Amino acid sequence: MARVVTITSGKGGVGKTTTTANLGTALAMQGAKVAVIDADIGLRNLDVVMGLENRIVYDIVDVVEGRARLRQALIKDKRLPELCLLPAAQTRDKDSVTPDDMVALTDQMRADFDFVLVDSPAGIEGGFRNAIAGADEVVIVTTPEVSAVRDADRIVGLVEAAQKGPPRLILNRIKPKLVGRGDMLSVEDVLEILAIDLLGTVPDDEAIVTSTNRGEAAVFDTQSQAGRAFLNTARRLAGEDIPLMAITEQQGVFGRFLGIFGRKRA
Amino acid sequence: MSLEQQRMSDLVSIKGGRDGIRMTLDAAAPWDDLLKALEYQLDQSGAFLSGAKVTVDVGDRPVTDQQLAAMLALMQQHAVQPESLVASARESRNAARSAGIIARPVPARPLTQATGPEAEALFLGKTLRSGQVVQFAGHITLIGDVNAGAELIAGGNVVVWGRLRGVVHAGALGDRTSMVCALELTPTQLRIADLITRPPAGKSGGVPEYARIENNLIVVDPWIKR
Repeated sequence: MARVVTITSGKGGVGKTTTTANLGTALAMQGAKVAVIDADIGLRNLDVVMGLENRIVYDIVDVVEGRARLRQALIKDKRLPELCLLPAAQTRDKDSVTPDDMVALTDQMRADFDFVLVDSPAGIEGGFRNAIAGADEVVIVTTPEVSAVRDADRIVGLVEAAQKGPPRLILNRIKPKLVGRGDMLSVEDVLEILAIDLLGTVPDDEAIVTSTNRGEAAVFDTQSQAGRAFLNTARRLAGEDIPLMAITEQQGVFGRFLGIFGRKRA
Repeated sequence: MSLEQQRMSDLVSIKGGRDGIRMTLDAAAPWDDLLKALEYQLDQSGAFLSGAKVTVDVGDRPVTDQQLAAMLALMQQHAVQPESLVASARESRNAARSAGIIARPVPARPLTQATGPEAEALFLGKTLRSGQVVQFAGHITLIGDVNAGAELIAGGNVVVWGRLRGVVHAGALGDRTSMVCALELTPTQLRIADLITRPPAGKSGGVPEYARIENNLIVVDPWIKR
């Protein structure tokens, strides 16, 4: 029986799609059967980030409207046979699918997978409501910026109002140098505002740019700090008790982070 | 408050309770003056009143169809829709009925006050997140945080046992004796009655603080043993 996990953020561009691709890949690397759903209908990206764009024949709207069976639309990953993508439609919009459709779709997938990850579009409108409709749990991605955190706070309220239980947080693109100088919100600052459990912290890493452009998840790259952080986050999502990794700079370790991470483990 | 403003709010007083908002019009003043005072009050607290269940109390003054129509038109301009008219004169009640409003006789006992220490209060035990708004005609007590992007609007006082970082408006119906207090008083904007202030840049003193009006200014002080 799969757990349906929706990855959302409110604000755009904070790394929802990258997070979904990496968590999905990491879970599959650890042997779980994983499906990732791109719920961003009309602005599909997850296929590109996973390097599966040229394999799309059917999409989520084809499945919902009955033109294709789910099995036909699911695309197997290039490397991991246990990882599947259900792509979004590019030529349609968010209104092509209703929340009820999403509940039916995710329910249909539960039996065949251990994890169903839903990549939500930005915003709080229909697309977001579709994305969380079938979710058992919600993960919110934010960056340490005041505007992103403000939107995340709004999303926490909406997720709670939708009775999806308390969401968990992934703090993405942390720049230790800026935090050290006091020019960026720290993990502690963000948790103080949002007051939800922390699932993972991911450092800002240029390797992400190359990996998303190449269509290969960063978790394959053992040299990438962000890749390792996503791998740990995925293991935490799977229920393992992994301490938060210290986010380091080239020069050394930030002891301040170590202190925080020891206490605020999700 | 200027003498003129004082007179305006004497002519038309706005109070609220659990069953809605009541506007009481002075029983003796000329109707035109009342309308002027009403317009002033609507300008002041229109945002609070719009969409609210409003009862208009005209006391024992006889109100004609034309007078009532003028008043309703004025309220409509401010998006305020009165639900019922309280009047002891039969003529007034007839005017209300023909305008499609519920007419009620003056109750024997006055309703509980919305402002002042005796007003009703709303208790909330949760954190208000960005985009969430709580509006209440009496006092509001909240245990939790009010995050930036959230709004708390009360006819009376506001007490927050937590961090107050959103927008807060106490005395939103015009009561200048209202106050706001919070364990951490760092609102985006603080309003009491018709005054608005922004907190100075930088962190707060790290102690509970309270805000109230003194000499036409919103004054914030630490909450210390007094």
